[in-house]
Amino acid sequence: MHFLTRLALSVMIPLAVVSTAIADDSPQFNTHIRPLFKAYCTECHGESEKPKGGLDLRLRRFVLKGGKGGPSLVVGKPDESLLIEKIRSGEMPPGKKKLTPAEVDLLSKWIATGAKVETDEPATLATGFQIAPEDRQFWAFQPIRRLAVPKVEDHVRTPIDAFLAVKLHDKQMRFSAEADRVTIIRRLTFDLIGLPPTTAEIDAFVADQDSQAYEKLVDRLLASPRYGERWARHWLDVAGYADSEGGSPEDPLRANAWKYRDYVIRAMNKDKPFDQFIREQLAGDELAATPWNLTDPETVEKLTATGFLRMAPDGSGAPGADQKLARNAVVTDTVKIVSSAFLGITVGCAQCHNHRYDPVPQTDFYRLRAFLEPGYDPAAWKPPAARQLSLYTEADRKKAAEIETEAAKIDKDRLAKQQTFIDQTFDKEVAKLPEALREPAKLARKTPEAKRNAEQKKLMQEHPSLNVSAGSLYLYDSKAAAELKKLVEQATEVRKKKPVEEFVRVLTDTPGKLPPTHLHHRGDPDQPKQVVAPGGLTVLDDVLPLPNPQAVPGGSSGRRLALAKWLTDPKHPLTARVIVNRIWMEHFGRGLVGTPGDFGRLGERPTHPELLDWLASEFVSTGWSLKQLHRLILTSVAYRQSSARNAKTDTDPDDRLLGRYPLRRLDAEAVRDASLAVSGKLNLEQFGPPVPVMEDDAGMAVIGKANRDGAGYKLGDESLPTGQESRRSIYVQVRRSKPLVVLDVFDWATIEPNCEARKSSTATPQSLLLLNNEFTLAQAAHFADRVRKEAGTDPRKQVTLAWRLAYGTEPQSIEADKAIAFVASQTNIFESAAPPPPPMKNAAAPTKVKGKGPIEPPPPPPTAAERALTVYCQALLISNRFLYVD
Amino acid sequence: MPSNTSFPMTRRQALHSGTFGVGTLALAWILNRDQLLAEPAKPDLERKRFDLALKKPHHAPKAKAMISLFMQGGPSHMDLLDPKSELTKLDGKPFPGQIKYDNAAEASSTVLGSPWKFAKHGQSGIDVSELLPHTAGVIDDICVVRSMHTDVNNHVQSIHALNTGRIVSGHPTLGSWVCYGLGSETQTLPAFVALPDPVSLPVSTTEHWSNGWLPAVYQGTVVRPREPRIPNLDPPPYLKGEPQQKLLKYLEELNRDHLSKRPGELDLEARIASYGLAAQMQTAAKEALDLSQETEAIKNMYGMNEPATADYGARCLIARRLIERGVRFVQVFTSNQFWDNHGSIRTTLPAACKKTDKPAAALVRDLKQRGLLDSTLVMWGGEMGRLPVIQNNAGPAKVGRDHNTYGFTMWFAGGGMKGGHVHGATDEFGHHAIENKVSQHDFHATLLHLFGLDAKKLVYSRNNQELSLLDGHEGRIVKEILR
Repeated sequence: MHFLTRLALSVMIPLAVVSTAIADDSPQFNTHIRPLFKAYCTECHGESEKPKGGLDLRLRRFVLKGGKGGPSLVVGKPDESLLIEKIRSGEMPPGKKKLTPAEVDLLSKWIATGAKVETDEPATLATGFQIAPEDRQFWAFQPIRRLAVPKVEDHVRTPIDAFLAVKLHDKQMRFSAEADRVTIIRRLTFDLIGLPPTTAEIDAFVADQDSQAYEKLVDRLLASPRYGERWARHWLDVAGYADSEGGSPEDPLRANAWKYRDYVIRAMNKDKPFDQFIREQLAGDELAATPWNLTDPETVEKLTATGFLRMAPDGSGAPGADQKLARNAVVTDTVKIVSSAFLGITVGCAQCHNHRYDPVPQTDFYRLRAFLEPGYDPAAWKPPAARQLSLYTEADRKKAAEIETEAAKIDKDRLAKQQTFIDQTFDKEVAKLPEALREPAKLARKTPEAKRNAEQKKLMQEHPSLNVSAGSLYLYDSKAAAELKKLVEQATEVRKKKPVEEFVRVLTDTPGKLPPTHLHHRGDPDQPKQVVAPGGLTVLDDVLPLPNPQAVPGGSSGRRLALAKWLTDPKHPLTARVIVNRIWMEHFGRGLVGTPGDFGRLGERPTHPELLDWLASEFVSTGWSLKQLHRLILTSVAYRQSSARNAKTDTDPDDRLLGRYPLRRLDAEAVRDASLAVSGKLNLEQFGPPVPVMEDDAGMAVIGKANRDGAGYKLGDESLPTGQESRRSIYVQVRRSKPLVVLDVFDWATIEPNCEARKSSTATPQSLLLLNNEFTLAQAAHFADRVRKEAGTDPRKQVTLAWRLAYGTEPQSIEADKAIAFVASQTNIFESAAPPPPPMKNAAAPTKVKGKGPIEPPPPPPTAAERALTVYCQALLISNRFLYVD
Repeated sequence: MPSNTSFPMTRRQALHSGTFGVGTLALAWILNRDQLLAEPAKPDLERKRFDLALKKPHHAPKAKAMISLFMQGGPSHMDLLDPKSELTKLDGKPFPGQIKYDNAAEASSTVLGSPWKFAKHGQSGIDVSELLPHTAGVIDDICVVRSMHTDVNNHVQSIHALNTGRIVSGHPTLGSWVCYGLGSETQTLPAFVALPDPVSLPVSTTEHWSNGWLPAVYQGTVVRPREPRIPNLDPPPYLKGEPQQKLLKYLEELNRDHLSKRPGELDLEARIASYGLAAQMQTAAKEALDLSQETEAIKNMYGMNEPATADYGARCLIARRLIERGVRFVQVFTSNQFWDNHGSIRTTLPAACKKTDKPAAALVRDLKQRGLLDSTLVMWGGEMGRLPVIQNNAGPAKVGRDHNTYGFTMWFAGGGMKGGHVHGATDEFGHHAIENKVSQHDFHATLLHLFGLDAKKLVYSRNNQELSLLDGHEGRIVKEILR
């Protein structure tokens, strides 16, 4: 009824006021009608080269003018309007996708209320893809607006809480109570360093009477070297980090990729301002002073940072690769990585055509690509192996040459001596022959093998001892052989003195060369069209134009530097929002924008747009400091609250309003690292080449150094130096084709080409792994060893300590009783069982390997009690209480 | 939401309890499950519990299980199952009508008549291309739907449309909905299994078996395309039997106690259930995946002894073995964009057919000879078809066809579908579905109907909203194709 009344009234509004902006609630063209037309009509009626039927629906006045069939509407009279008639009859739009009755009503209402538009329309409008004002007004493209922090009647600690509280109060909700201290230190420690707190750390925090105890804890963890190892991994997901090339079934290793990984860890640990971090990754080579001083650590750091642009899968080095396609794929993937990492817009969708949902024309994809092509020139391609920059200096080279000369001299001596020894030996052998054969034998030996006559061949065959050679000398004269061997060792020792030649993987332009970037028709590199100049997103051209790149000293084009500066401009509406949102996501399990890689129309809208903007603005104004941002978030009431559900929080099942802290599963690295930490085996060695991964006999990726022939037969030792198998997961090789099974099963990053957000599944393969996999079983055994060592033989002390190590709390007495009973019953089972058959274990299993020292005797088989404790420790390590964080 | 009461014992269950030895461990779990089933339905006051216990359908079902042979990339219907003599006539000439290109300003408008011959097969006399000789052999058991359409433009969107009824990611897939609605007929194997191709995951990767916002217990489980197909099935010798059984019991106590202080955390519940399933799978999955139990004749039938069909045949055979043992929903995938014939269609399409035709037909034949076809719905098809015109007009060897989601073909066999039947039609050029059109929503309504589920009533409450697979769309049950 209400609608009808309003309709009747509004029909009477004189037409003269139609095009002026009025604050009434009648439908407006730009706000209500144009999006409908865009969804159903303008692909044919406006955006194509020639509008169908001459009808263009992009502007109100074009709608009024109509097409070949005459004006499309009669203002005020929907029922007499051609547009409505065509829609109601089902003729338009053609195809399955029809307007809903509500949408048709809205359109009718718009016509009935005078077909209004809220602003003056542009005088001209070019043909083809146009970015409409409403598209520009989409939230993500708006400048970041820092609103005043709202005043709220609630317990707040930081401005974050105030923004959150407003929305909670709207739903009659409040924050939950603060979590207890044991819960909070476990949460915080996993969050910041990816490991559980030690029992000593827990005790100290629980006992800390200081009012700043929590803040001190945050600071201690942020200062830990482990922090960088945890948070670098989050960024490596975004960068699509891998230690192998991918792009072909061989998936060859990518040497030195790890230097970029170490660069990221160091950047995180020293809280490198994030804008600088971005600039270095995109254009470190253009930032470094030229000519590059490769003895300057800062220069090397900047160059190493460009490894970011070398992370995409790259099949161009594979034998028989279709080079055109393979190279194109690398550049395309790199554009996708760059745009999703910093812009949060799916520019990749515009590779083949204009973006269907966002105001991103196809040219935008190629504008971004143009920044990369001076470094990734498909016509002057550097294959993966040629991207290594040697860090050798002139002095290094000179020193190496000198040492080589010295070594070569030893080699020469050795060869001369060798010849003498051989000749002497031959003479001795000849002397053993009958007199008549001696001269012919000498002659036969002098004659090259191919030229010997039948008689000579026969002679040499009948007296094999005459065939003394470098390879067989040791059989005749062990002393001589030993002397020669010594010389070989001597030369090797000398060569070892050469300065180590280090390499970094870089992306650099070919100086002075600017290959043209062509738009590819339908994304097909075989169909190049017009040349596209580098540029930012068209939709931001008015807000923040990207200045023309200027070549930098040394001849690099300066394109990437221009892109990096544009992205890190404090006025950029996307970069800071995207970064802040990712950090938020890692702390709370979900971003303020639920789709961290898609801030566009198909992505989710921010749950708290004002908060997102406030954080982005704060982040930029405090010098892009991640650690500062962490502090801000971690000291909030929102972060410190309990995760318990109640009837109130259940009205918000996804916890979007954050009325409680969400319960979260440990991610892949944390599951593995925490098991190692609790078992006491964790090796905290930092940095360096990755711990290798190989396939075991069952075809599963495990830690170890493959040493097999083509048929899979083991050729020798596959073990690693002791402790290497227990290093943190970030140091484990990321082989695209062989993801370490323990990590893979727990939803490790899928890098195709990069990972926006990990999934958190509960699939059964996880349970099977936790029950039966060699890794879990080995950690359970180490854990039990540790418990026996630290708690002695008393069962209550044992189960209590294990409980504390795994969960961080003392068991209640009933829990301890049950645990003791469980261990006892397991002991009984093992005692009464026949002794298990001697282990026929797969020798390739990584946890079985020993160091390279003298062979150790096999340890005695565990006793029934030891086994029982191991099973109890396994139960703790695979229980939900261990795998989830409150 | 169907209620929590059990079916009478089905033939499938009888088969399953008869075929493998139920160890003590398995027995404990089954008893545990039965006890759960025996619990009286509780009033809906407390938190809902989500599990895979059997649920009563809305009406008597025809299908108990489904195997989706998903042909990712979009098979060219006019070259396989939807012959167009008009295209043959116009081959090489300009297309007379308007083409709905993936992008309006691009591609050629030159007609590409099918390079392959069609012939009528079976008693039904349905036209099948020479590229699908084996499918032609079982055509009388197949219902060919030539009027599928989703009308969305690209792979990901159309995949989402067919899987979830929406075109964006993050929503539950058909397999999850069916398992949510009906529970599982096996407690020893996952209810929902995905069998990806050894080369690569399909476009949209793991989202094909995502539970979206349904509880995680309805997520699909991946069976790897090579050995070990399910890793970590074997406990170490010292844990085998009683020690692990006791471990699982103690673990469940720990986890239940943990959950009791965190009521409503569905992930925790799902993991408890997953340990139960893992315990079962140690024996059951090994048995189910052991193809050495099959005769040579069966292996040959699936093409397991020929290089081109060995992998796909093995996965189709695994699908049958899983269904036989009570698995509800199995997906068999082709590799990434396997059927996306933008170029060189003259070589890529025959290769795709070669890999899949024989095993797919064998699956239908085999299910039928075992009496399983009536209750198992087999679906064959991808997220789109192809256009009647040439793409990449760079010589006969390089030509291909672009995407077409406005009209394409799928086929179904068993599970209550008519055999030897053709439903719907595209226009004379195969571009648009025009007769008896079937949208993704109709497709969903029909499939759920076969499972005894009413698509409008199968809802999940979330955030005070009742959400369904249809997502508010009108989904018509396509009665014409039902038996």
